Amino acid sequence: MNRSTLPQGSTAALVLILGSILASLVGAGLQLLANTQLLVPSLDRLIPMPWFNYGRLVPASQFLLSYGWLGSGLLGVLLILAPRFSGIAFRYGRLLFGGTILWQLAIFSGFTQILLEGSSGLIGMPQPRFVSILLILSFLVLGTGLTRGLGRSWKSGPLLPRLYLLLALLAFPLGLGSAEVLLRGTVTPGSVQIIAQLLWHSFHQHLWLAPLGLVLIFQLLPTLTGRAATSLNLGLLAWIATALLGGWLGTVRASDGPIPSWMQSTGVVASILMAFVAIGNGLLVQNLTEGRWEEIRRNVALRFLSVGAWSYATSYILLAFLSLPWVRPVMVFTVAWPALFEVFHFLFLGCVLAGSVYALLPVAREMGWPNSSALTWHFWCTTLGAAAAASGLLLAGSFQGLALSDAGVPISTLASYLRPFLFVVIFAQFFWLVGQVAFSSVLIASLLRLFPTAAPMAVFRNPTVIRPVSVGHLHG
Amino acid sequence: MKPTRALAIALGALLLTWVAQAAVGYWQVGRLEPVLNEETNLTVPPVPSGLAHTGARVFASQGCLECHSLSARGPKDSADLTRGWGQRRSVARDYLFRDPAMIGTARIGPDLSNIGARMPEGDKLMQHLYDPRLIKKTSTCPTHPWLFATKPAGPKAEPDALQVSPDGWHQLIPTYQARALVAYLQSLNANYALPEAPLK
Repeated sequence: MNRSTLPQGSTAALVLILGSILASLVGAGLQLLANTQLLVPSLDRLIPMPWFNYGRLVPASQFLLSYGWLGSGLLGVLLILAPRFSGIAFRYGRLLFGGTILWQLAIFSGFTQILLEGSSGLIGMPQPRFVSILLILSFLVLGTGLTRGLGRSWKSGPLLPRLYLLLALLAFPLGLGSAEVLLRGTVTPGSVQIIAQLLWHSFHQHLWLAPLGLVLIFQLLPTLTGRAATSLNLGLLAWIATALLGGWLGTVRASDGPIPSWMQSTGVVASILMAFVAIGNGLLVQNLTEGRWEEIRRNVALRFLSVGAWSYATSYILLAFLSLPWVRPVMVFTVAWPALFEVFHFLFLGCVLAGSVYALLPVAREMGWPNSSALTWHFWCTTLGAAAAASGLLLAGSFQGLALSDAGVPISTLASYLRPFLFVVIFAQFFWLVGQVAFSSVLIASLLRLFPTAAPMAVFRNPTVIRPVSVGHLHG
Repeated sequence: MKPTRALAIALGALLLTWVAQAAVGYWQVGRLEPVLNEETNLTVPPVPSGLAHTGARVFASQGCLECHSLSARGPKDSADLTRGWGQRRSVARDYLFRDPAMIGTARIGPDLSNIGARMPEGDKLMQHLYDPRLIKKTSTCPTHPWLFATKPAGPKAEPDALQVSPDGWHQLIPTYQARALVAYLQSLNANYALPEAPLK
């Protein structure tokens, strides 16, 4: 590998990762503020400004968490990973850096536009048109860089990460580009616009973000545990099924209404089948991690990645449950869906991202992690916080759905049903934010080399068994 | 697996999904046309006014969709019609002239797909926008004071001033955005029968 070009790629990656962490803090803070407003509606009288309104805070925080935190972060760690698993360095480092800056500009513009001017009202696409164009342009640059990871080394490394990377690289420009054309570029009838929104929602969540997470799971878990995936056929079947079914999962967000019923039924079938796909991938992860519990207990990156992998399976099982024909009509407009958002984004993708940063950043920056209690705080606060928030929302959604299905329950009393659970959710989201602050502080301190002693591998304090896990060949 | 085969499978799967939903969806519901209501001799769904069209964008920008859906469901799966949120379920033809077309994903508040029929009075809608607690004390809907201009109350009230005053000395004049939003809400009236969705 031509090492002289690596720093350019790693600078781009660092910018994306730092931007991602900033986005996570701001996005989670706004989410907390929005939920507090739901609990105390008169809070909006404190600052009677549009940008402080619940209706602005929610889409702004979702945009920031989805594109800013997870999108930037996953692209950042993949920029570190791709040249290493392909053995090919980035050739045009400055162009890559330009793409990174463009991506961050798109995130900042989208966030400020949503907060100041409001959301577009389109599902999964609250940002204005020019932000989508910026995102596509920068992704074309970053994605072209990432295709280096697919290059001539196709046969030399694990196949599954490459396949998922290929899927994600195709899905983002195809999905966002066609959604922009259908929704804002042409005079598309309103009835088709709704289908196009749900289609993009599926592409964004299940064909872009989820495959990016799976790239990291299937590349880093074998590296950290020293084992290869046991059944390539099962992995291939899961990949093909993800590619075929992922785009249908958004249609379950509609119940009755304007979407053709066959599309909704296909969405339900796809959701249930995707649960089996996730269980199949879970079995592969099980084989990778079985008998390595002490290492998982000790190694920060491995523990985050394992939790992320299991949360992946959990999120698709939860999606299948919410899509069941007798559950969906009750739960469709409830906060049970934000519970799925919590599991999918915060537990699956958030943990995979954190684990990848712990594993890969020392490789790119020649830095180390301290043996600090902040690592423990990060793990427990983020995982328990997200799990508690998801549980609270799921329970709240169940009560809300049952109340909505009973015409005898006045809609004005609905908020009182949600209130006790909202307390739990707000507390849990605050807890998550504390964990993320701990992560940010340890990351910044490590980058600035403020710790007197640091090791390339992040470990929790007071491990019971000392058994080194090699990340050596990631350095090559 | 060869890279070219992987590329063909991935691209094929994505295109198949896209075509099956967007193209077949267009073929199935995108070519729907308005139908003639023989009682009124007007076509339905009605084409919204320019002001209502602007109001749809104000509705989206204020984030109303974070709490309100715009899709009433049939009696089989929900209590929407029993609650009085509509006289029939929403169908694809209802969204023919909506741009942006929105259905919403949350119901912290009531469904608004038929709010124009349920609350046709513009004054009441304006008051609700300014401060929902003026209409219902327990409402959790946020206030939108920025949609109203405050002017000193003269001897004669402005013709479009709200019936309420923030302090007794000032009057509240709806801005263009507030007028557009109310026009949009009033346009959400689905009290007409369609061949695929007769009134209950």
